[in-house]
Amino acid sequence: MENLTKETIDKGLEVLDTLNDGKLLTHLNSCVHCGLCADSCTYYLANPEAKFIPATKVDLVASIYRKYNTFGGKAFSKIVGARTLNEDTTNEMVDLLFGACTMCARCVSHCSIGVDITYVIKKGREMLSNMGMVPETLQSTIDSALETGNNMSIPETDFVETLEWLEEDLQYEVDDDNAKIYLDQKGKDILYTLNPREPKFFPLSISAMAKVFYVTGESWTISTKMYDVTNYAYYSGNYNEAAIITQRLYDEAENLDAKKIVLAECGHGSRAFRWEGPNYIKKEYPFDVTTSVELLASYLKEGKVKVDPNKIPDKVTLHDPCNLARSGGIWHEQRYILNKCVSDFVEMTPHGIDNLCCGGGGGQLAMSEYNDRRMAIGEIKAEQIRATGAKIVATPCHNCVDQLTQLNVTFKLGIKIMTLGEIVADAIVMETKD
Amino acid sequence: MNWYQLLAIVSASICLISCFIHGAKIINYGKPKDYSKKRGDTEKSVRYSYTGAMSPMKKESAYLHLPTYIAGISYHIGTFLSLFLFVIYLIGIYPTGIVALVISVLLLISGLSGFGILIKRISKDQLRSLSNPDDYISNLLVSLIQIMTALVLYLPQAFPYYFILISIFFLYLPVGKLKHVVYFFAARYHLGFFYGWRGVWPPK
Repeated sequence: MENLTKETIDKGLEVLDTLNDGKLLTHLNSCVHCGLCADSCTYYLANPEAKFIPATKVDLVASIYRKYNTFGGKAFSKIVGARTLNEDTTNEMVDLLFGACTMCARCVSHCSIGVDITYVIKKGREMLSNMGMVPETLQSTIDSALETGNNMSIPETDFVETLEWLEEDLQYEVDDDNAKIYLDQKGKDILYTLNPREPKFFPLSISAMAKVFYVTGESWTISTKMYDVTNYAYYSGNYNEAAIITQRLYDEAENLDAKKIVLAECGHGSRAFRWEGPNYIKKEYPFDVTTSVELLASYLKEGKVKVDPNKIPDKVTLHDPCNLARSGGIWHEQRYILNKCVSDFVEMTPHGIDNLCCGGGGGQLAMSEYNDRRMAIGEIKAEQIRATGAKIVATPCHNCVDQLTQLNVTFKLGIKIMTLGEIVADAIVMETKD
Repeated sequence: MNWYQLLAIVSASICLISCFIHGAKIINYGKPKDYSKKRGDTEKSVRYSYTGAMSPMKKESAYLHLPTYIAGISYHIGTFLSLFLFVIYLIGIYPTGIVALVISVLLLISGLSGFGILIKRISKDQLRSLSNPDDYISNLLVSLIQIMTALVLYLPQAFPYYFILISIFFLYLPVGKLKHVVYFFAARYHLGFFYGWRGVWPPK
């Protein structure tokens, strides 16, 4: 950081060139520093310090923009609070934009003006990425994905072995030797993706979806070459790397001639591929993209899956992944699923598009240097869960599953964490064979 | 026409041109380009962004901070009333009697609201830490204008000072954060478009 060259600084400042970005121009000029966003940020709620107010984080980027891009900032920098991009500001940016924001966007919908705070923070991260200042921990996750095709560097042979074992397990469970987990099959309707945490730590969530697909008679496959739904470059702000990861899944869908990509239960992965991906690669997808949450809801609506809510008698609550609900518009579907599949569903307060982040977003789970902060903000979620009295927390996101699992241990919640696929699979009523 | 009125007209013109340039720049970009497949209704969402989403019941920034929210609303109403009266004064119309009294009371309330917000900014450590001189200058300038706009109705000899003050305001507006008078509307548009595209707004 000590050798911040002019070239490095210029690379950072390039991001603030608003000539092609009216949205950036708008949001960099809109914040009035009212500070009323503070109470909408879990970082601030956990640590009520000025630096954690979302407006402070926005101003870190906006003040640099003013310095180099506005008349006021150039002529009266002290008056308008314009700041130079130097070691101090970059250190502050790394600490606050990477280390104190889950990009949950809760502050955005509550902002008195309507500043897209997350968008500005993403731009700040992009500046740091251009300057080579992405935290190494986060970058190593991206490097794994780029080098091996999945962010957990799972070798293909191990992956295939896991799926073969899961297939045997599926055949035993549904009592049918013809039940399959289809690998690399061309011309199927669905190319199903996975969060690499599933084959690595949570294989039962793959079994659960395989069981649902079996029951529905779905035409589906998993690619052994490119199944990773995640895209941590979305968090780092390196959109060249984000484009490479997006393009790989795009190419695999084309290669396997799949009609639709179904995104596994992963909040940021769903967002990164469905909403951001086409903009990374600057083209529309020729195939459909949907989330497994929408797919599960549609199966239930169409009666393709028969369920019995009495099979899950425990009280269940739902944690909405921020990227899926607030930034993806999917929050009715998961409620529909739970109301069908469990007998005692209770909401957290607040919930839906107003939910509180669990603390695992924004790449925080990958950046171990900020673990203390992550667990501190997670305590708010832990208490929210405790208040419901639920025994099961359902969440359609494997990042959230990871964070909630840690919260469960740290704050002794005594809960079970399940994905929606697992909930549906457990509630399924298998038709008896003649 | 007096020199100070002329000064105010020139300043207001510079301000309007600057705001127009800011606005034209934003409009020139057109609709945001998004390659993803639209899931919702952006038009409805943009409308919602300017209406329902602005409801105080929808924002923690409002319902968790009701005194500040009410002061802010009053302050902004006073600002637009002051700008309207500036035009009226330039034309040579000076409200009298009950109209002047109502205007003065409204402006006194809004001006005091502005000073209240300023005092809050000065007295709260965290807000002070977030603030730069522009925040204080903008707040002070607008609050003073509201008070002066009311005052001149009863103290016509203060008109030169009023016009000088409002000239400073007009010249300062495009430089500092007061230009949010333009960007606020653009921010609501972009937010509405973004959430509408993904089917988040308007809430179903």
